[in-house]
Amino acid sequence: MSEPALVVHGLRKSFGAKEAVAGIDLEIAAGSLSGLVGPNGAGKTTSLSMMTGLLRPDAGQVLVNGLDVWADPPAAKAVIGVVPAEARLFERLSGEEMLEYAGRLRGLPAAEVRSRATQLLDVLDLTADAKRLVADYSTGMRKKTMLGCALIHNPAMLFLDEPLEGVDPVSADVIRRLLTRFAGSGSTVLFSSHVMELVEQVCDHVSIISKGRIVKTGTMQEVRGGKTLQQAFIDLVGPRASNEEGLTWLGSSSS
Amino acid sequence: MARVLVQLKLRLLRNALRASTAAKVSFIISTAAAALVAAGAFTLLALLRGQPAAVDVSTVLFTLFAFGWLILPIFVFGLDSTLDPATLALYPLRTRPLAAGLLAASASGAWPLANVVGLLGITVGLARGALGVLTAVVAVLLQVLFCIALARFVTTGMAGLLRSRRGKDLAAFMVIPIFALYEFFTQVVPRVAAEGKLSASSFAGVDAWLRWLPPGLAAHAVADASDGHPELALARLALLAAVIVVLVWLWVRSLGRALVTADTSTQSSRVRGAALPLARSGLRGTVAARFWIYQRRDPLSLVYWVLTAVIMVAASISTLLGRNSHPGIVLFSVILGAGFVGAFHANAVGLTGEPFILEALALRGRRELRSYFSGQDIVLGVIAVPLLTAASFGLAAAAKHPAEGFVALAVGLAGLGAALGVANIFTVALPYPMAKRAGSPMPQSAQGSGGHALASNLGTLACVAVAAVPVIVAGNLTSADPAEVRVPALLVCAAAYGVALAWIGVRIAARAAEGRLPELCQVAIRTKL
Repeated sequence: MSEPALVVHGLRKSFGAKEAVAGIDLEIAAGSLSGLVGPNGAGKTTSLSMMTGLLRPDAGQVLVNGLDVWADPPAAKAVIGVVPAEARLFERLSGEEMLEYAGRLRGLPAAEVRSRATQLLDVLDLTADAKRLVADYSTGMRKKTMLGCALIHNPAMLFLDEPLEGVDPVSADVIRRLLTRFAGSGSTVLFSSHVMELVEQVCDHVSIISKGRIVKTGTMQEVRGGKTLQQAFIDLVGPRASNEEGLTWLGSSSS
Repeated sequence: MARVLVQLKLRLLRNALRASTAAKVSFIISTAAAALVAAGAFTLLALLRGQPAAVDVSTVLFTLFAFGWLILPIFVFGLDSTLDPATLALYPLRTRPLAAGLLAASASGAWPLANVVGLLGITVGLARGALGVLTAVVAVLLQVLFCIALARFVTTGMAGLLRSRRGKDLAAFMVIPIFALYEFFTQVVPRVAAEGKLSASSFAGVDAWLRWLPPGLAAHAVADASDGHPELALARLALLAAVIVVLVWLWVRSLGRALVTADTSTQSSRVRGAALPLARSGLRGTVAARFWIYQRRDPLSLVYWVLTAVIMVAASISTLLGRNSHPGIVLFSVILGAGFVGAFHANAVGLTGEPFILEALALRGRRELRSYFSGQDIVLGVIAVPLLTAASFGLAAAAKHPAEGFVALAVGLAGLGAALGVANIFTVALPYPMAKRAGSPMPQSAQGSGGHALASNLGTLACVAVAAVPVIVAGNLTSADPAEVRVPALLVCAAAYGVALAWIGVRIAARAAEGRLPELCQVAIRTKL
């Protein structure tokens, strides 16, 4: 196994009495495309926020390419790219201006930023809309723009929180192909999702998080254990009790 | 259908009240305001009895009420779900019963009642005799019905636009005339009235053309009936009723279309030219470029600049009206203007909202944070300096002390430097999330952050006032010195002092922000614009 690109030790976070992340230990190999899956409220977003320096943990350590995110934030920030769950973009910039702004904030030369922005807009199928305001973009276009902003400085590690939530199939395919290509070049991707099929298709590694703890982690084959990821996930996290007896009227089409 | 929609409106109101204390407080304030408007309008109309211009003033008041009904639904579009036909488009409803229901929903609530009660003051002020009172009651009911139909027609016709980004931008700009009108009624009208220049007779003849508008028809019908011309009164009421019928017919047609037509009112904007200007000038230039674009494209930024100008003019209103030409008023206006430039930007992270995450992920270390804050300050300075210059010389000329414009500008430059410095410090030291509430086009401090907002706004204004004192003192102490020496020295020293204050603010803010970026990010995440 190659050197880990991400090492997480004892990461914890509580909000008042609620323990959102209850001590996470995780290692992600460099060059892998890894998924972090879990039900809603399992602690995925909180964990990713702490791994990327956006939320101060109560305890624990996060190393990206050996750089401590919380002891040396400037060094760690230089090697990571982040796509948050909600596309957080400047609405009154055009897509082209948005990418250029993201690149220039990262200290890239203007000519280089312009060249990379043009290529990213092309790959992300946004060239025709490059001069439209982000405010008028659809969800899929926003996600793709956000991905472009996260990639423009060519980070060694990319974090994505629910990257395909609310995205149409065509845009989803563009994002999926770009992530695969990015990981194939030796960079590392960790993304959270609760869509098992997507993770199963794209990822080579997967970690399952439930109630703020990693309950299983490893290669896709190891975690699946001969079942589908969906079944393995439900076996680990436990099915929710349901009571459908009250829906006797449903499907009668009488009224 | 009418009953269902009235119940829906009442239920929406009840649920909103259950949701939060703020909603309860807002409801109580709104109801109290409606009662005040009702009592005020009734009293004003009643006091017109025997006045020669009674019919003119009544016409103006009726027209003002109609104008309010025309404007306010644009503001409360998101607040009242029954205003947007799209919310009912999925239900199997026929247009006519739906229209009747929506009209009934509009007519229920404190404000329509306040309209009826307030305008009934005409029964005392203008109506004479039984026929006059009867005509007045019918005229008021028709006037309120006209207002409701007008409001429905406008909101249904504009529903596509009001849902869109451009419509929301438009609603934000509506704050400017309303704020200007508020200043006019609270500053200009009382002063003019106190001078005796404004009385009921001032309105004599103003309704030369207003009388032909629907509200004028209602008011004049009452006058005609009271003056013994019942046939004229009847004709006016019939004409008003016909206008209402046409308006309702047009509204029902537009409602039918709105229920099944896709929204095509939003054509997305394309920007011209190359990408970010100034972006070659390092991080400071990059931040300045983005911030400059926002000052032009973001309605909120534009609104803040116009409000700053209106505040400066309002503070000098006595000077502009020629009543008080003390040069101190000009200084006060300029300090207030500089103060509000700071106060409006004293929560930059909250105003930026979630996109600040993207910036926080890229900004590395204190030096980059200094560039970040100073880049924004440069843009604010580039806009504020010409604004303060124009205000200083314009107001000084109006006060008939044109030379004082130089002192005012010096004070303004010092105040602006202090404002920018303090705004950056408050941005880091006392950040708070902002939220755009339904019905309000302008973002406000999120629930529970009102104290933060008050502290940072008042704190900025107070700091600017204190920082301007040395320049005011220097201006007074050197007033006897030759102008050719005094003016340049004062301007250069004040500008240098202002730049120093702004720079100190940048350094303090960058130093504090370095260790607080995650906390600032959490404020940005909690902001919902």
